Amino acid sequence: MANRPSAPSDPPEPWITPEMRAEIDAWIRLYPEGRQRSAILPALYIIQRHYGYCPPQAQAELAEILDLTPAEVGEVVTFYTMLHQEPPGEYHIQVCTNVPCMVRGASRCVERLKERLGVEEGQTTPDGRFTLDHAECLGSCATAPMAMVTERSTGRIRYFEELDSPEDVDRFLDLLAAGRGFTHLERWTPDGDPDHTGRPAGPYRNGGMEPRFLLARVNLPDSHRLARYEADGGYATARRVLQEMTPAQVVDQVKASGIRGRGGAGFPTGVKWGFIPKDVYPRYLVVNADEGEPGTFKDRILMEYDPHQLIEGIIISAYAIQAEQAFIYIRGEYYFAYERLVQAVQEAREKGYLGQGLFGTDVDLEIVVHRGAGSYECGEETALLSSLEGYRGQPRLKPPFPAVEGLYGKPTIVNNVESIANVTHVMRHGVDWYRQFGTEQSPGMRIFCLSGNVKRPGVYELPHGVPLRELIESYGGGLQQEGTAIKAVVPGGLSMKLLTPDQLDTPLDFESVQAAGSLLGSAGVIVVDDRHSMVEVARRTIHFYRHESCGKCTPCREGTAWLAKILDRIAAGQGRTQDLELMAWIAANVTGKSFCPFGDAAVWGLQSNLAKYRDEFIRWIQETNPAAEGPGIPIRPIYRPDVHQGSGLQEVQFEPRGEPILLHDQVIDLLEE
Amino acid sequence: MAEPITLTIDDRQVTVPAGTLLVDAAAAVQIEIPIFCSHPKLDPVGCCRMCMVEVETPRGPRLMTACTTPVAQGMVVHTNTESVRSVQEANLAFILANHPLDCPICDKGGECPLQDQTLRFGPGVSHLVEPKRLAKKHYLISETIVLDQERCILCWRCIRYLEEWEDKPQLGLFQRGNDTVIDTFPGQPVDAKTSGNIIDICPVGALTSRVARFDFRPWQVTRTPSICVHCSVGCNLRLDSRTHTLRRIVGRENMAVNDQWICDKGRFAYAWVNSPERLRYPLLRRDGRLVPVQWREALEYVAERLHTLREEHGPDAIGFIGSAKLSNEAAYTLQRFARQMIGTNNVDHRDGGDVAAWPVGIPALAHLMKPQYGPDPQVDTVFLLGVDPSEELPILDLHLKRSVRRAGMRLVLAHPRRIELTRYRGPYLGYRPGTEVALLNGLVKAVLESDAELPGEARERAEELAQWVAPVDDALLQELCGVDPDTVREAGHLLARSRQALIVYGPLAARGPQGPAVRQALVNLAAVTGHFERLAYVGLEANSQGVRDVGLLPHRLPGHLPLDQTDGVRRLEELWGAAIPTAPGLTYSQMLAAAGDTLKALYIVGADPASERPAWAENLEKLDLLVVHELVETATVERAHVVFPALGWAEHDGTFTNLEGRVQRAPKAVTNPHTRAAPDWMILDHLASHMDVDWPYADVRAITGEIAQVVPSYRGLTWDALGDQGVQGDVDAARPRPKLAPATQPPLDPEPGHPLVLVTGTVLYDGGNLVGRTPQMRAVAFPTGAGLHPEDAATLDVAPGDRVRVVSPHGSLELPVHVDDRVRPGTVWIPEGLADAPVGALLDGIYPVPVRVEPGKSGE
Repeated sequence: MANRPSAPSDPPEPWITPEMRAEIDAWIRLYPEGRQRSAILPALYIIQRHYGYCPPQAQAELAEILDLTPAEVGEVVTFYTMLHQEPPGEYHIQVCTNVPCMVRGASRCVERLKERLGVEEGQTTPDGRFTLDHAECLGSCATAPMAMVTERSTGRIRYFEELDSPEDVDRFLDLLAAGRGFTHLERWTPDGDPDHTGRPAGPYRNGGMEPRFLLARVNLPDSHRLARYEADGGYATARRVLQEMTPAQVVDQVKASGIRGRGGAGFPTGVKWGFIPKDVYPRYLVVNADEGEPGTFKDRILMEYDPHQLIEGIIISAYAIQAEQAFIYIRGEYYFAYERLVQAVQEAREKGYLGQGLFGTDVDLEIVVHRGAGSYECGEETALLSSLEGYRGQPRLKPPFPAVEGLYGKPTIVNNVESIANVTHVMRHGVDWYRQFGTEQSPGMRIFCLSGNVKRPGVYELPHGVPLRELIESYGGGLQQEGTAIKAVVPGGLSMKLLTPDQLDTPLDFESVQAAGSLLGSAGVIVVDDRHSMVEVARRTIHFYRHESCGKCTPCREGTAWLAKILDRIAAGQGRTQDLELMAWIAANVTGKSFCPFGDAAVWGLQSNLAKYRDEFIRWIQETNPAAEGPGIPIRPIYRPDVHQGSGLQEVQFEPRGEPILLHDQVIDLLEE
Repeated sequence: MAEPITLTIDDRQVTVPAGTLLVDAAAAVQIEIPIFCSHPKLDPVGCCRMCMVEVETPRGPRLMTACTTPVAQGMVVHTNTESVRSVQEANLAFILANHPLDCPICDKGGECPLQDQTLRFGPGVSHLVEPKRLAKKHYLISETIVLDQERCILCWRCIRYLEEWEDKPQLGLFQRGNDTVIDTFPGQPVDAKTSGNIIDICPVGALTSRVARFDFRPWQVTRTPSICVHCSVGCNLRLDSRTHTLRRIVGRENMAVNDQWICDKGRFAYAWVNSPERLRYPLLRRDGRLVPVQWREALEYVAERLHTLREEHGPDAIGFIGSAKLSNEAAYTLQRFARQMIGTNNVDHRDGGDVAAWPVGIPALAHLMKPQYGPDPQVDTVFLLGVDPSEELPILDLHLKRSVRRAGMRLVLAHPRRIELTRYRGPYLGYRPGTEVALLNGLVKAVLESDAELPGEARERAEELAQWVAPVDDALLQELCGVDPDTVREAGHLLARSRQALIVYGPLAARGPQGPAVRQALVNLAAVTGHFERLAYVGLEANSQGVRDVGLLPHRLPGHLPLDQTDGVRRLEELWGAAIPTAPGLTYSQMLAAAGDTLKALYIVGADPASERPAWAENLEKLDLLVVHELVETATVERAHVVFPALGWAEHDGTFTNLEGRVQRAPKAVTNPHTRAAPDWMILDHLASHMDVDWPYADVRAITGEIAQVVPSYRGLTWDALGDQGVQGDVDAARPRPKLAPATQPPLDPEPGHPLVLVTGTVLYDGGNLVGRTPQMRAVAFPTGAGLHPEDAATLDVAPGDRVRVVSPHGSLELPVHVDDRVRPGTVWIPEGLADAPVGALLDGIYPVPVRVEPGKSGE
């Protein structure tokens, strides 16, 4: 860049070796011409696999390859939590401590790991084998507590779940120590350990209504393979749709079905498709598989155990919006699901279901599976597009909306995995069939993610409108521990406002939950029983958002951090009762004021917590800080008197004090005398 | 055009163009909406959330960011409701939560938007009891810019400037959430040539000037609107001074010239103004030493010597050298002095009579500019021959980059070095130096052979034209010029197809004996492509255009008047009351070559030829009389008999004419009571009276008035009329009619034993006499050296840093090697003005200069 002569030195060995370069080039070719920047995350994963982290020299070389400045690469590296600036140990163990894991004993798990490894959080064992960290929600809430382990030398990731006891922790740690932790990538549980039981763990608990549709196949053997999917009737719908229907007819059907987005906002999918401007090409379909909302883990099971269901949905949806290129943006932590998707896309391509001339028509479609690298914010659709384009995952201004100007400035539809999966079923069974489930406004079935203090956490496919109590009691088996009571329920992922035990009869559909003062969101239902402190729930919740705030706008960036500091102080026994008002004020000025909906999501939970469990906060503050000691506000007088207020000076009546000695009249009288 | 939009803001009706943002619509009726991230010259981002206003919608009032929301018909907006005020207060509380509030020691204090808005819109009280975030404080992100991450409020203005204007995203956001900071990549400091502008637009004290740091308090300085004198763009800037010293330079808006941007040289390289080494007294050589004397004594001495030498050797034994850095008034006075007082046309400046210049510059800089919401540039293609705006005219470079990226402007670049602008799409012709005429003829041929319709005269004389350029075939282009014939064709077609192409050349392409042929070839090219009104010569110094206009040339009188144009000459003689010599004088290089020989006396104003060529330095020593006006000691001053201390541009009034013919004022901004220095024009005026001629100049404005009288394109200009935005002269009046004629490529005589060709040119940070006095800029100074292409370096078996001897038929120079793939194979690149490397040692006025490279002395 510098317009100055190059430094006098021989060209050193490149940090990006020719082999790495070839792999990076292959990734670059997957993206449209001139969009090589999109390959930045894949390229950084390649670098990190080689070095264990992203060395600055390699970053600078990558900048050259992608036609960027080094600063632009550095911006990206430091944004995503899964990209390292320092090499971690060979096995990077990250224990989820977010609310769903917290209420099921994540801290015990962390303690055991500290004890066994002899390190604190954020440290690496002296032999360089293990690094211990905590992590924010990893999408495994039904099998909490759990840990994600990254194998540095291969970049592979495996989940170790249901670490309920110290013994379970010991077993997985021993497995890693013995170098057998990565013989499989499928999740590991104490019961589903191939080395002990001879079988992999398989999908986590799932169930619901009979028959099920979206989850119908996940328990079948080889459910993720194309042959099995076809044997179950797969791809017949896509074939029929592409051969017999026009794109407009598909859009009409999806509109008529009333499918509402399953990512959280519940926006009607067909209506969104209708926003695409006419005659503007190319168009893109982007599947939002960045499932990061704490308490939500439904997309993961679909991708891990029924990826072809998703691919068939993509084929139909891309056809409907006339896109020839689709991207699946999957969160970086979902490595197993990523592998399964890549394999499924490969199978479909080999079979001719992807590529050129699908099913004998002249329809073309390519799918690229793009891995994120650790950022909740990338679930917001414009942030996702920024990330997919190779930038920091920060949201963009709307309008223009992605349907008008999305990926690479072209019309783009961003849909959640479950929404796309629904499309296949609507097209297979018809609109009337679909609308017989659920309610008028919230048609269809829903995959509810149940986690927290229930006996049988898991994913349950049920029609919209099922009462919360039925989900918890009939499907979740009631509370985890006898003698406890429900204290609070999060109805739609951690962002949503808390419901209290008296609201258990709320039907779980968009309208009813909204009427109850919260939102159905991503249908992640987290049950908290009365063993847990709501102060701690608040603290854990806000720490998640502080950690995940992208930092673009002031209220969210500063507000979440300020709240986190206050809650840390309260938890540490330095709370003051006026902190409750202060937090409410901060929260009120974050929600609705931030750049994207993240700001709302960040404080809704806290706002409802403070409103509904205020007594508990006050009790905690009084018990931990009885003398009400705490940092005082330094002397900072209000310096800006309101000039519109009267000074009051003119209004003072100078009344003589006491009885006057002489009255005016008397003086006159005296003079006259 | 879309209909204007009428809306209501705080119960007031506002009508603005469609597409206007709410924040600007409010400003139009003096309603202030607080902003931090929003900036009129940058794309909206909406990240600071300070500008929230209430907009009435069918679903009730909604808070929206005024900086990202465009106006709509009938919109009703409130900027002062309870909810807006409380959001503003809360948002400022958020912004201040991690701001260190170290205002007492902050340079921004007093002119800080964060202070001002906190005062006006802030909460008035803080509830923060938590510890603040810590980050890196006051460290250098470039040689001249200091960053304090704690003060930063993450408005992204600096990042956006570097991305949107400079196209060099060297600053970025690192980490995320509350840990987000602005930073550079390790080991990659900001080096964009206009990076200092991020200091001006920073709304807090996060970015401060290393040069001006702690030198000023904003409320104490006197602010004088002025212009920059480092190059011919003539950027508008403001000089902040106090107690007789210049404290700071900042950019000033002029939408016809520099938008509001200035380059780092203009911003930071001003330490020379306050330098203690400035010359303060007239100096007279006595017993071989220059000693301070009174003005009267020095003036009397010079008057007497000039008189005597003129009597003894005739007027043409005396020469006058000015500089293109002089104001119009100084240059005009100097040429009048030479012509009237001595009776010689021996008056010139560097790149004056030695360059075949076209008398007019760029028709209008504004035609190249792409402002944020303004019109697209009128010019759709720019052809640059021998000009490197990135190094020579940084703000022109900025305009070009933006127009290329945002308005689809195309560039055609012809330069013997792969200049920085080649990173943009467009044909690049990396020709072999000395083959300009053949290259241009090749372009003319490409146009003639294309299906483009020829304009006017070119159409009538197409056959003749075709004959002139017939010898330039593909083989010639390839072998002689070293360019790809297909690229030449592409460039020719592009120019022919362009609606409005600008054709610009610089001194590098038209110096020396072959200059007139290059100029003729350019005239032919401009005529066949239909862009004749947009053929421009661009000199590189602040007043390159002005000094030509006022006649600081050996063959032209003021107003480009030829010496044989008797009517005009007679009118000028009447005005001056003196006869004007008719024989053309010697050019700059001719005078210096003849110095000490036929030329007995030289009167040099603001030039330093002694440092340029060793041979000239020797010649100056042989003179009977050398008089120099200077600011500081130079190699030429060392050889002078008399030295007059001069004032710089900041210290007295003067006007300068930029590359588009805009005449601009540089008023007096600093007064130094400790010096006896005087303006150049005043010295000459006094000297004239010592020679018994009283000029009618009461002050400098009288000279401005006289220039307006004698230079047709300046007609009617007065000091007052120029205002603080300048006035463009009547450029069309100065443009000659196109004369088509054959342009012949002079033969290149290969010099045996000199296989390479020298490429010179200018670099921005050349370590020159003035820049070198700003210590903070020394580290960015272009390192002295000879640039070689890697292939040539390999052939010669030299490595970077090796010392080599570059030998031309006229001299040699020893210096270290830079290996640089932007240097054309077969050439050696040595920029002009490098410290301790007078590339002039290799020159003697012949172009191109063949050279060879030998190993230098070992043990260096």
